[in-house]
Amino acid sequence: MKNFSLMRIGIWVYLALFFSYLLGPLVIMSVTAFNSPGFPRAAPWECLTFEWFSALFQDERILNGIKNSILVGAGTVTLSVAMGLAGALMLTQIWPKLRATYYTIIIAPILIPGVVIGISTLVFWDRVNRLFGLEADSFLSNGLFLTVIGQSTFIASYCMLVLVARLQRYDNGLTEAALDLGATHAQAFRKVLLPFMRPAIASAAVLAFLASFENYNTTTFTFGEYPTLTIELAQKVRYGITPAISALAFIIVVLTVFAALANEAGIRRKELVAAARKSATVEELESGKLRLPGFLSSNAAAVILVVVAMMTIAVVGTAAVYSPQQCIADVREQKRLETDLKVQELLQRRAEQAARRDAEQAEQSGQEPTTEDTTPKASNNSGFGNVFDPGALQDDGTDDPEEEPATPGNNSGFGNVFDPNALQSD
Amino acid sequence: MSAGVGVNLEDLWIRFGDFVAVREANVHINGGDFFSFLGPSGCGKTTILRAVSGFLEPSQGNVLIGGNNMKGIGPNKRPTALIFQNLALFPLMKVWENITFSMEIKGASTKQRRKRADELLDMIALTGQGEKLPAELSGGQKQRVAIARALCAEPDVLLLDEPLSALDLKLRQHMRSELREIQKRVGITFIYITHDQGEALTMSDNIAVMRDGVIDQIGDGKSIYNDPNTAFAASFVGENNVFRGTVKQVIGNEVMIRTNRSGDLMARISTANQGKLKQGDEAMLFIRPEAFALAPAGTQGDHFVTAQVTKEEFEGSAFNIFMEGEGGKEIKVALPNVGQSFESHMGEAMTLEYQVKNAVALPAGVLATE
Amino acid sequence: MPRFLKEYFNRNGFGLGSVMLGLVLFWTVGLIILPQLSMLDFSFRPNLPPPEIGGPKDLYTLENYKYLIFGPEGGSQSYNAVDLRVFYRTLIAAVFVTMFNLMLCYPIAYYLAQTKGNHIRVLALMLIIPYWINEILRAFALRIIFGESGVLNNVLVGMGVFDTPFDFIRNDIALYAGLGYAYILLMIFPIYNVIESLDRNQIEAARDMGASWPRIHWRVVIPYAKPGISSGCTMVFMLSAGALAAPQILGGPSSLWFTQLIYQQFNDNSDWPQGAAYAVVLLVTCILLVLALMRLFKVNMGDIGK
Ligand SMILES: Nc1ncnc2c1ncn2[C@@H]1O[C@H](COP(=O)(O)OP(=O)(O)O)[C@@H](O)[C@H]1O
Ligand SMILES: [Mg+2]
Repeated sequence: MKNFSLMRIGIWVYLALFFSYLLGPLVIMSVTAFNSPGFPRAAPWECLTFEWFSALFQDERILNGIKNSILVGAGTVTLSVAMGLAGALMLTQIWPKLRATYYTIIIAPILIPGVVIGISTLVFWDRVNRLFGLEADSFLSNGLFLTVIGQSTFIASYCMLVLVARLQRYDNGLTEAALDLGATHAQAFRKVLLPFMRPAIASAAVLAFLASFENYNTTTFTFGEYPTLTIELAQKVRYGITPAISALAFIIVVLTVFAALANEAGIRRKELVAAARKSATVEELESGKLRLPGFLSSNAAAVILVVVAMMTIAVVGTAAVYSPQQCIADVREQKRLETDLKVQELLQRRAEQAARRDAEQAEQSGQEPTTEDTTPKASNNSGFGNVFDPGALQDDGTDDPEEEPATPGNNSGFGNVFDPNALQSD
Repeated sequence: MSAGVGVNLEDLWIRFGDFVAVREANVHINGGDFFSFLGPSGCGKTTILRAVSGFLEPSQGNVLIGGNNMKGIGPNKRPTALIFQNLALFPLMKVWENITFSMEIKGASTKQRRKRADELLDMIALTGQGEKLPAELSGGQKQRVAIARALCAEPDVLLLDEPLSALDLKLRQHMRSELREIQKRVGITFIYITHDQGEALTMSDNIAVMRDGVIDQIGDGKSIYNDPNTAFAASFVGENNVFRGTVKQVIGNEVMIRTNRSGDLMARISTANQGKLKQGDEAMLFIRPEAFALAPAGTQGDHFVTAQVTKEEFEGSAFNIFMEGEGGKEIKVALPNVGQSFESHMGEAMTLEYQVKNAVALPAGVLATE
Repeated sequence: MPRFLKEYFNRNGFGLGSVMLGLVLFWTVGLIILPQLSMLDFSFRPNLPPPEIGGPKDLYTLENYKYLIFGPEGGSQSYNAVDLRVFYRTLIAAVFVTMFNLMLCYPIAYYLAQTKGNHIRVLALMLIIPYWINEILRAFALRIIFGESGVLNNVLVGMGVFDTPFDFIRNDIALYAGLGYAYILLMIFPIYNVIESLDRNQIEAARDMGASWPRIHWRVVIPYAKPGISSGCTMVFMLSAGALAAPQILGGPSSLWFTQLIYQQFNDNSDWPQGAAYAVVLLVTCILLVLALMRLFKVNMGDIGK
């Protein structure tokens, strides 16, 4: 027994660790979206601000990226679901001897590195383009076309897997029954097979859109004139990070949670409705007076969904009227005071030293202490990052404080520490 | 009532690769008939039906419906409607939508469809259940919906692939008469498939008995039961006692058979085999359980069999007696329960008598349950 | 028309059948086979300006592959030590990421598959939600944490574990954590799917006979889950070896990922054939490795994607 409860504790500790690894980064990133410092950080907390959201909405490139992502996503969803469905249907009727080979071919794109898919797409369509004697800016080498084609190559495989799983439960007799009752093949497909596949097609479409939306490896070779949101984000992240990106991430997290909850609530509701129908009498069904359960009754996901929705509305409402200016000003003031204090101390000390030196060596004229000798120690790489850390400010030498007034509010420099290109020079 | 549309199979062969599923089938089905294909599972019944409905192209031969050759005509263009073995009701459509699917295809308005659905629902005694989904119906109800859906297409020929096999016994027997009823009412040709000889006998005007892709015999129930063409038909349709032996002497349409275990027995040669059995041929003699009667002990002759009672069984309509004939041969006797008292003869030797016209002699062949 | 084609069109109708066949052919031939062949062909060609492509100078050559092994012609070293090291390091690191992922995910997959209750749905949801969020943003989140003034350093320095912030990025810890993070779901799902179908009675029976938990896993669960495990490992390995975003965002400055070399050849050097050759090498090596492992553990291609 003791062993058993020990194991239980072990399991819970493991679960906690696992999910903090999984969710922790997202939570911290979300928090940084509301903190006022220019470098995304959760602690120390300075001021609640919504300015990173407005910065985000004013960023032309991000907005353009979103537009391109949606364009590419629409194309990819259409093409991959169509190809995935055709591929899945073909798998159920292909000649048995060919089946293994065929399956290997259509599953391979999942395993081929995205980079390789991007390159092969680029190289191949460039060649096709030249074969047709088209210009370099033709439709075939257009970034939109190439990206959709490249992404669909492997996203169609994901769709195929989702669709095949459902197709295996399809009774081909249904199609035959429809034909037998006079339907054409197209009618049987549209009225019988397609409605049956609809849930799987919806999942495949969502999956395809998400995969397309987040794809980087393939798109980075094919995007051309159509940088998607992911490409823009990657550029930004590589050349310096700001909380505006956290704000975007936060929005996506919230949307995701909404979608997940809505999906859960939908599933639960369907179950409830089915149960209600089962126990309904003929008359109730006939008259359409069947009393269906309320949307919120015995549906935890729906309740949470509504709560989260109300919270969101409240937050957005607050954001509209809330101004962090006072707080930011206060913090700045406080920092300035602290810094001033330190500068004063320093000046005083220097003045004392100078006075002593003056006294000792009268021939040397008294030098005004300047900030010029206060460049950070070359070896101290961390100096930039720690500027805002009050703890660091206190112990970390007396050289730094002068930096602070010199760059108030300008944080772009700090991000450059992480710029891989700056460091890749070796 | 219309005369109905007939169906002809002419020299029909269906092959899957090297495997022959249907061999040289020649069948004439009268318009308005209730026609059954009867045979054990795997003998090619479904395959024939799929060739008639157009899902399968015959490898050779023709399917004629109402005198028109159906070659190259797809299932959606043929005047047939098929009721699938598993019914194949559309799971996502409501019952009324299922029933009127063929009208939807033709572009009928919702109002027309509702009206027709109500008529058909009345006919199948499911009035007011149109809003349900198939999954919300019982087995028998689904069955009737499938029939209504097929009838709604107004086919000339209705094809039914073991439609009752999934139902329990009670319902199955009820549905038999109901199906027959419906067929009489709509007056179209029904082609019915079953492996249950009771179904075939009770419902059909005519029956084709099939074995391994070959049609052994075509005829009405009575002639198949009383006058089988082959050993297979004799043993598959109804219960039968078989005695093996060789032909000792042919006397007109009757024959004396020297059985391996029960001495010399007389029998009538089945109609299709008259003139074909010759002295010395291997033959089989079939006597139905109900064709036996008890005879005074010790009686001997060419229509008497002596055996020891090993098991007795009361079935309600009959007393069944199982006996061990000479050399361990099991014989089943069914004595009709017509009020007489019945004493047990367990372990005793008894003599059975039959009338020669009730014993059928056939050339030796494959039996149904071997 | 061959028999199977005729049957195919009979079954699907001419219009629908043609659309289906067209889509499948476009996908398999136009999007999968030809582009890969085209890339292979391209990798054997010299880097020429567009007008000269197809001209007399456009001859097949092994130059691009030689470059990976021997470096630039007349280079100071006899081997292209830099690129080869990157290549080798990428493969090794991908193997380690895969193993780390397996160890991290096996318990959770087992737990999810063999436990009943409502909280499992919640956990599954929590598992999936991070993967609805952009790959770049996930890497970004980790960079906030592992950055020099990131949360982790704040905590560690605050607790006095380090005196000065530790450079997680330069030491590639951020990269490994990021790659591990990126493919958790791909490892969990195949294993989960297989273990879910494992009859609980088998485990009960083994426990009944007094087997310890590690032994039950080693002898009962893992052999049963082998197709799922190898499917997950294959995908995680291929994707980590082929990852580009995580190394670009989380990678240390001195340690490149092989895909970054490919990226540089294409985008910075504009040497497409060279990049194609590197891509071919990456693809072929990964496939050979995976095939070898699949043979070693006796699993089929058909298990992938289940
Ligand atoms: N599409 C097919 N391909 C190969 N063999 C088939 C096919 N359809 C049926 N068969 C074979 O044909 C024989 C007859 O099948 P079927 O007509 O379904 O029998 P049943 O009389 O039980 O309906 C069976 O042995 C079956 O295995
Ligand atoms: Mg059948």
